Amino acid sequence: MHSVLHVLRQLFFGFGVFVIGFYFLINAYYICIHLLALLELREDVQESRWEPPFRAFSSPFYPGIGIIVPAYNEAATIIESVQSMLSLNYPEMELVVVNDGSTDETLDRLIENFDLEAIEAEIPIDVPTENVRGVYRSTTYEELLVVDKENGGKSDALNAGIWLTEMSLFCAVDSDTIIDRDALLQLVRPFLERPETAVASGGVIRVANACTIEDGIVQSVSLPKTGLAGLQVMEYLRAFYSGRLGLNRINGLILISGAFGLFRTDVVRDIGGYRHDTITEDFDIVVRLHRHLIDRGKEYTVDFVPEPVAWTEVPSTRRMLGRQRRRWYRGMVETVITNRKMLFNRKYGRVGTVVFPFFVAAEMFGPLIEGIGYIVLPLALYFDILNVQFFLIFFLLTTGFGVFLSWFGVFSEVWSFNRYDSPWQVLRLLWYGVLENFGYRQWKTVVAWNGLVEYLKGVDTWGAMERTGFKTDDE
Amino acid sequence: MVGTITAFGYSVSLTAVLVVFALVIGIGLAVMFWLTVGLSVYRSVQETRRGRVRDNLQDRLLDGVFDPDADWGWVKELSRNERHVLESLLDEYLRELDGQNVEKLHELGAELGIPDRSKRELETGGEYERLYALTWLTLLRRPDRLDAADFAPRTPRERAAVARLRYENDDLEAPAEGIAILLEETTSQFTVFGQDTLYRIAIANPAALFSIGERRYRAWSDPLLTQVLVVCQHLGTNVTTEDLSWLVSALEHETDAVREAAAQALGNVGWRSDIRDDSFLDRALRDPSPRVRGAVYRMLARWGDSEAIRTLTGALQHESNPRTRLTGTNALVDSRDRLPDSAPETLENAWAWSSEHAEYDRLARRRHREVSD
Repeated sequence: MHSVLHVLRQLFFGFGVFVIGFYFLINAYYICIHLLALLELREDVQESRWEPPFRAFSSPFYPGIGIIVPAYNEAATIIESVQSMLSLNYPEMELVVVNDGSTDETLDRLIENFDLEAIEAEIPIDVPTENVRGVYRSTTYEELLVVDKENGGKSDALNAGIWLTEMSLFCAVDSDTIIDRDALLQLVRPFLERPETAVASGGVIRVANACTIEDGIVQSVSLPKTGLAGLQVMEYLRAFYSGRLGLNRINGLILISGAFGLFRTDVVRDIGGYRHDTITEDFDIVVRLHRHLIDRGKEYTVDFVPEPVAWTEVPSTRRMLGRQRRRWYRGMVETVITNRKMLFNRKYGRVGTVVFPFFVAAEMFGPLIEGIGYIVLPLALYFDILNVQFFLIFFLLTTGFGVFLSWFGVFSEVWSFNRYDSPWQVLRLLWYGVLENFGYRQWKTVVAWNGLVEYLKGVDTWGAMERTGFKTDDE
Repeated sequence: MVGTITAFGYSVSLTAVLVVFALVIGIGLAVMFWLTVGLSVYRSVQETRRGRVRDNLQDRLLDGVFDPDADWGWVKELSRNERHVLESLLDEYLRELDGQNVEKLHELGAELGIPDRSKRELETGGEYERLYALTWLTLLRRPDRLDAADFAPRTPRERAAVARLRYENDDLEAPAEGIAILLEETTSQFTVFGQDTLYRIAIANPAALFSIGERRYRAWSDPLLTQVLVVCQHLGTNVTTEDLSWLVSALEHETDAVREAAAQALGNVGWRSDIRDDSFLDRALRDPSPRVRGAVYRMLARWGDSEAIRTLTGALQHESNPRTRLTGTNALVDSRDRLPDSAPETLENAWAWSSEHAEYDRLARRRHREVSD
């Protein structure tokens, strides 16, 4: 018995040392990224506040953008979504709606509302997707193209749009995403300033739950009433205004949100478009772009632009959120394993040696290790080999640092664009930064483990997102 | 589970180290909390105070603009907060209004002391203060304050802002002066504002831009060269500059984006027999990049004479990349009346596809015009 206890003590001690080392390493990285983000945000805020004396909209230098909207059974909202996107401020735009084999009236509603007529000519290029049943043009909106194809999933639908758009850039958006009116004019900036090297840029996704939406425009911004959605607001702020800004500073951005990203069409076609066999196609495509361009020795940039904003509804129940996060986790593992050759590979520069390894450590292994910790702790307590004083200090330390990073994201928001302009809302955001450490964070480790199990079992379903819809002035 | 850390002969318990870290984080948290809340409260109070006076100031501003006898003496009594709001309203209306009303707004700007303040900021401010100052002087049409200031532009953005100020106020002796401000001492790229400014100035006299391009294009970075070539593409066809060989040379550049932009720029000058050299066209049509070949097809379609169209249809029949072929047929559709009868047949599906889309473009535009009328 004595020797078993001794072995356990050694194991727990080893695990404890490993956790402490891991924690310091990851958080040192996070601190660096957040500091870089602060520098980047300072420049971006200054830049965005200066409005040059010219009419951007009438400038002939904006490259054409194809907005690609995959739609599957979106009959209830598709007309409003298309109307909203048609009214975006951008000089040269093509809106490609891809009906991905909907079984409801999505296509009929589009035909009826936008006076669509089928193109009789055969498509003169190979479109590497499920069978395209028809291509429709509107007789009233020159910029609208509707593609009707058999169901193949979101990646397949996006690829159909990418192959059929005539525009040199494309913007992948979800049909329920609300894009700020001038967002494209800002998102395209890297392509104007570095026309020969910019390949992708991403904007900020914000939470639309509880915001008031009128005619496809966010009229007033509010924090969601429920804690779960509120926690996600804080998570999004932290992810975008700290994480992605900091990575942008070192050209190490490896994730552009699928709900709002701009890409060079020919480069994405070169890598075969979005992969069909992945469920986090947005993460996968950016990692593959890095890999493809570095493999070919091309100079390139992937940029994050903090001002253009797209709004999306986040899950408001634990069941829906759990499903979404398990899917994200599965997709992340899949993409990491597919691109594992990039890890610690000097050929891939900062992305291969710093960004990707730290991403894997923090986002993939972090929650798993934390989950093991929650099992080890009571065991250590049971066997009386836990130093309670040490544990409490360490817990306070990890929690305090987590809160600090969350508050950093909230501070960045207040300092920069300040969309949550009431101090009460800001206080609530700060409170969520504390609250997430008690229950929510632990729950996310369970979700991560579930996601890993699903990945190992080969689960590849998306799971439907049940949306409650946006609030309008009338409500 | 608790160990010690030993370094330089000293031993410290891990708990003590963690306590120190916890204290540092605790202080960081306190600072971050009060900073965030304090800033939020400050911005909220500021917004509320500004919101309270905004409607009243807007009414007074509009009264002043539309009343020819009104004067702006009342602005001297405004508080700092009110002046801030009035300045933001002035900025908004200066960008929206034109004609006689703008004169009154210029007077208001002078009454608020903005031109003199801008001069001071040009001399002593940081880059963004200088950019704000140049923007104000452009909106208020006061290039004299720029002349009076001890200031020389230092960054591409400042050069663009100075050129814009002079251009908007007809203060350039010749377009060449504005183009020189923008391009003479720089090798790095513009923002879209700079590119747009270059275009507005050069469109009055493209020769000045082509001339500086001929002298300096080798010194420019790839992004800047691409941007200048894109500007050239939009300049229209009245290019009288004798030497355009640099445009043709850019078509041999190692970067795809530069070659593509060069082909588009050459689309403007198809009437010049000196650039329509067969060997240059042969090389361009055999470019390894589909993207560049697509641009060359657009260039030929833009030239639009029967010889160019014949060359284009011939090239398209041998084009191996279906998408590039489609780019070519899209460009060719507008020249359909000059096509040999047999051409559409040999272009097969791509021609039918491009033609049908062009019909829908025309139909939608016609309907749009009807609705607008």
